[in-house]
Amino acid sequence: MAGQSDPHISLFSAEEVEFMAEDELIEIVPNMRMDPLNFICGDFGPFLPQIATQVPMWLAVALKKRGKCAIRPPLWMSVENLTKVLEGERDSQGAFQALPFHYVEISRLLFDHARDDIPDMYMVRSLIEDIRDVRVHKVETSLEKFSGTSAVKIPNLSAMEVNIIRPFVGRALQAFYKHDNPEKIPDVDRASSGQTRVANNEPRRPLRR
Amino acid sequence: MKIKSLKLREAHKGSANASFCSILWDLNAHHLVTASSSEPSISIHDPLLPSNPPRVLRHHRDGVTALALSPNSTCLSSGSIDHSVKLYKFPGGEFETNITRFTLPIRALAFNKSGSMLAAAGDDEGIKLINTIDGSIARVLKGHRGPVTGLAFDPNGEYLASIDSIGTVIYWELQSGRTLYTLKGVAPDTGSDTSILNVLSWSPDGETLAVPGLKNDIVMYDRDTAEKLFTLRGDHTQPICFMSWSPNGKYMATSSLDKQILIWDVNRKQDIDRQKFDNRICCMAWKPIGNALAVIDVMGKYGVWESVVPSSMKSPTEDIPSSRSKNSNGLLFFDEEDEEDQELSMSGSLSDLGEDSHGESEPPSRKRLRKQSVIDDDQHEDVYNELNLCTKTEYRKKVHRINKESSDKERDGSRSMMTFRPKMQEAFQPGSTPPQPGKRNFLCYNMLGSITTIKHDEYSHIEIDFHDTSTGPRVPPMTDYYGFTMASLNENGSVFANPCKGEKNMSTLMYRPFSSWANNSEWYMRFEGEEVKAVALGGTWVAAVTSLNFLRIYTDGGLQKHILSLNGPVVTAAGFKDELAIVTHISDCLPSNEQMLEFRIFNISKGTQPFKGHLPLTPGSYLTWFGFTEEGQLSSYDSKGVLRVFTSQYGGNWLPLFSASKERKSGENYWVVGLNASKLFCIVCKNPDSFPQVLPKPVLTLLNLSFPLASSDLGEEALENEFMLNNLHLSQIQKRIEVMADEGLDTTPLDDEAFDIEAAQDRCIFRLIASCCNGDKLVRATELVKLLSVEKSVRGAIQLATALKLPILAERFNNILEERLQSKTEVLKTSLPRSKHDRNVKADVAASMALTATERSEILEPTFSSSSAKLSAPLLIKKVKSSDRVKFGKPKTDGDQTACLEDSREVNDAGKNAGPSQVKNLQTQRPSNPFLKLPNNQEEKKVEEVMSESQSQGPSNPFFKSSNKVGEATGIQQSHRPSNPFLKSTAK
Repeated sequence: MAGQSDPHISLFSAEEVEFMAEDELIEIVPNMRMDPLNFICGDFGPFLPQIATQVPMWLAVALKKRGKCAIRPPLWMSVENLTKVLEGERDSQGAFQALPFHYVEISRLLFDHARDDIPDMYMVRSLIEDIRDVRVHKVETSLEKFSGTSAVKIPNLSAMEVNIIRPFVGRALQAFYKHDNPEKIPDVDRASSGQTRVANNEPRRPLRR
Repeated sequence: MKIKSLKLREAHKGSANASFCSILWDLNAHHLVTASSSEPSISIHDPLLPSNPPRVLRHHRDGVTALALSPNSTCLSSGSIDHSVKLYKFPGGEFETNITRFTLPIRALAFNKSGSMLAAAGDDEGIKLINTIDGSIARVLKGHRGPVTGLAFDPNGEYLASIDSIGTVIYWELQSGRTLYTLKGVAPDTGSDTSILNVLSWSPDGETLAVPGLKNDIVMYDRDTAEKLFTLRGDHTQPICFMSWSPNGKYMATSSLDKQILIWDVNRKQDIDRQKFDNRICCMAWKPIGNALAVIDVMGKYGVWESVVPSSMKSPTEDIPSSRSKNSNGLLFFDEEDEEDQELSMSGSLSDLGEDSHGESEPPSRKRLRKQSVIDDDQHEDVYNELNLCTKTEYRKKVHRINKESSDKERDGSRSMMTFRPKMQEAFQPGSTPPQPGKRNFLCYNMLGSITTIKHDEYSHIEIDFHDTSTGPRVPPMTDYYGFTMASLNENGSVFANPCKGEKNMSTLMYRPFSSWANNSEWYMRFEGEEVKAVALGGTWVAAVTSLNFLRIYTDGGLQKHILSLNGPVVTAAGFKDELAIVTHISDCLPSNEQMLEFRIFNISKGTQPFKGHLPLTPGSYLTWFGFTEEGQLSSYDSKGVLRVFTSQYGGNWLPLFSASKERKSGENYWVVGLNASKLFCIVCKNPDSFPQVLPKPVLTLLNLSFPLASSDLGEEALENEFMLNNLHLSQIQKRIEVMADEGLDTTPLDDEAFDIEAAQDRCIFRLIASCCNGDKLVRATELVKLLSVEKSVRGAIQLATALKLPILAERFNNILEERLQSKTEVLKTSLPRSKHDRNVKADVAASMALTATERSEILEPTFSSSSAKLSAPLLIKKVKSSDRVKFGKPKTDGDQTACLEDSREVNDAGKNAGPSQVKNLQTQRPSNPFLKLPNNQEEKKVEEVMSESQSQGPSNPFFKSSNKVGEATGIQQSHRPSNPFLKSTAK
């Protein structure tokens, strides 16, 4: 993942994006008994053996490392669903399939720490890698066609993908703006009003869903 | 039975290897069609002139594996290893079209009875349903895991049945393409040998489906419910590889891998004739007219066995069940088939015109019905049959749904290994699953852990796992030479038992403690002429119930302590600490399928039997789980999904606390593991499984307990449910407090719990009152107000009623409050410590009157804050209160009493000191709250009245008293003191 983007120009490094993804909730099946944990981010537990509960990813990984729980892979991480998603990605050139915002990071964390909990681990892993490659390729090709617009809208883009293209898109938009502006001085009002309208129509996507 | 020899004639040379061959009659018995999977040609023979060379169709490029002839014999279809399905005209044999292609060899073909649809299947995934008119694929039915080797359209046109090489049978509904039933592993697994194909066949009347069974037999399944009806079992020594119904459905020919053909009388379930051959017969076909059977063996040799059925018996083509009539009315009875009929007439375009018109005049009837030689008096009978059949099918449809339900139930039944309901249910262990070949199954699964076993050839391998791996003991896996089938598990150890298998292998009971200071502390008990039926494990004892209806109780060291005789055969047993619960049959089932069960609870350490009685079950169900809640309440779960918990209310009764039918999302079964006061722990199993597998490790799901409440006009089932549950918990806790107080134990934690529940209950009631007021159920609201346990809540209710502009209701609430205060003062007379304390609380209540009931948790705070200046009151107050509640008049030790008295006096003082300030607070609040004024004023007046009535009742309103007449109040109190018996004793 880190290889996909140049860490110097990215706003966040891959590790930082992964760190943010660790706040996502995931289901675990503990094998110990523990009272509820009260954190700033919320209360989790109580933990009862063999009863599934939702915890943040970082807690799940920490418990997993100590052998205190099994992580239940999220529903979208089934071979069936991923195959479907991959097909969809390959079929539609423009659009992206709906996947969790942090799918790259979550799958990476699970592959690193919870190999034994994922059925058909190798299949899942290769599917996710394929999906990622297809999507990144799609992002790159669509950026090639990127031309003088004031806004870019790509739905269903994931955190890691956004992170890759963010510096480029940001600068490119600035450049477009800079180059377009002097010529369009009389039209500034119209252009800016159009711009704001677009911006209003597409509210900024929050980083976390 | 005389053995006739039958001469076979070579039709297909093929290779030296055995290969699957097919044979078919046409409608009029003018032609015989044969094909072999080792040869690409199809031969059309003339049975009358067998020496004539057959007409040969060579269109396939590889062996022909399947043949099918449309019901009107105008269209022949063939499937081949070369992946194609071809259609030909018949009897001409002109190639028509390649109707479909697969990616793997075809294994089975079938026309529906109108000929409009062709089903094709093979090694590919999915069965294709093809419109014969245009060759379009109507549907692909996916669901088989192995190559599909047999297809059969139901003669009534509703279903398609299919079978694969691993022995799975699937019923498909043609209309929707859904799977109706999947019967796994009912037929033999033919492996990879393609010369043996599993087949299946509907009886000509469509009521039964014949499938080769696992025991060299034919198993008949019901049309609508897929229930096993009966089997034809006889002299076949190897699995059956082909079968064919006689045209009238009275007889059946079966051929087996043991190279025999048997002819069966289906009604008598007996074989009537047999024939032995040199090679295995892989296909047979009854002659549509007369009494003959065409056979073909795996080497491609065919022959016709004449007069198969002895002449003394009915001909196989006589009395063909008919839905066909000579007049055109016949169509009316098959309205739903009209469309297909039209299709049929269109499909006729495939064949030549003459045949077409003939086919059209043919009503939509079964293929075998087409008898050319019509007996004259046949017509009348036909009409009769037809009516009969028609009503029957309608009836069938009606019962269809009911049957489905019952079959669902049947599936549930597998959990307790009971297949037929009206029987008395067999003994089972709670939390066990039936053994499955080659897989682990649970001997015991409870909230603590699980015991699993897997059978190898000579021995089993048992593993014990605890859910909580951090605290549970680590138990090494063990090898079991006894073949244990029952087990029970708790923190201290595990007990195992096996049924007796013959004389050599006696029933054995084994106990294995998990930790012991002595070596080799596991022990065995052997039972001669007796069999262990159920085991249970408790704190320090092991119990086993045997086939002689003995209850044997052992200590955990292995001492044989008690042997009791039980009333009837045991169903199950469960243990919890000191208590053992046993369920037995009282009598045979009622005709209405109700099990008659009885339960007993034994207290092992005391040697008592606190309860016994009938164990209620939902009608028509049986017990599937039995055990204790985490708090030690006895509970049961039946196959209809109703959970019951035993309560001592009303002299010992079972309360239905959960109903799966209310909860159940479609396609889920709940396998109960345990429960606590408010939640049910279960494993959710997707249909059709009714029990979990060991792997992947099952995960427990929490479900809320709920009474099966009727839907009331109030529309607040959730609140009403909470109300009832709280009541139940309260009564349970109070019961325990009593028991513990009797034993002289400290009840403080339980008191706290009871207090919390009371608080929750008041909140719940308050919300109910609110919804009652909104729903205009005023009587119900007053009833609810009477149930409130704290005055403050009552005042809150008054406030609420006033706010909602219901003055009549507010008045009634007020009266209730007054009655309550009055009765309190009477109590006050009888006991000083209590009254003092109560007064204190009341003062607080009065002070915080303006607060709403939902803020109840804050009630005690003023008390605490006011008194904490002098002493650490919170604990004390609760203690006083609880001791009051438990047993008031009970004499206590002097020391306790004096302490109590002094404490309460201090509390009282504290309350008095705090009194004026609180009053001020209250007064400042008053003007801001217009609703409060009225009831309070009234109250004060009334209080004054009460005071004037009798001095002893005077201090009913503590706030009033403490604010105005502090000195007087203490005086009154002192005057009361001598009346307290406790005080006297302490004064001495």
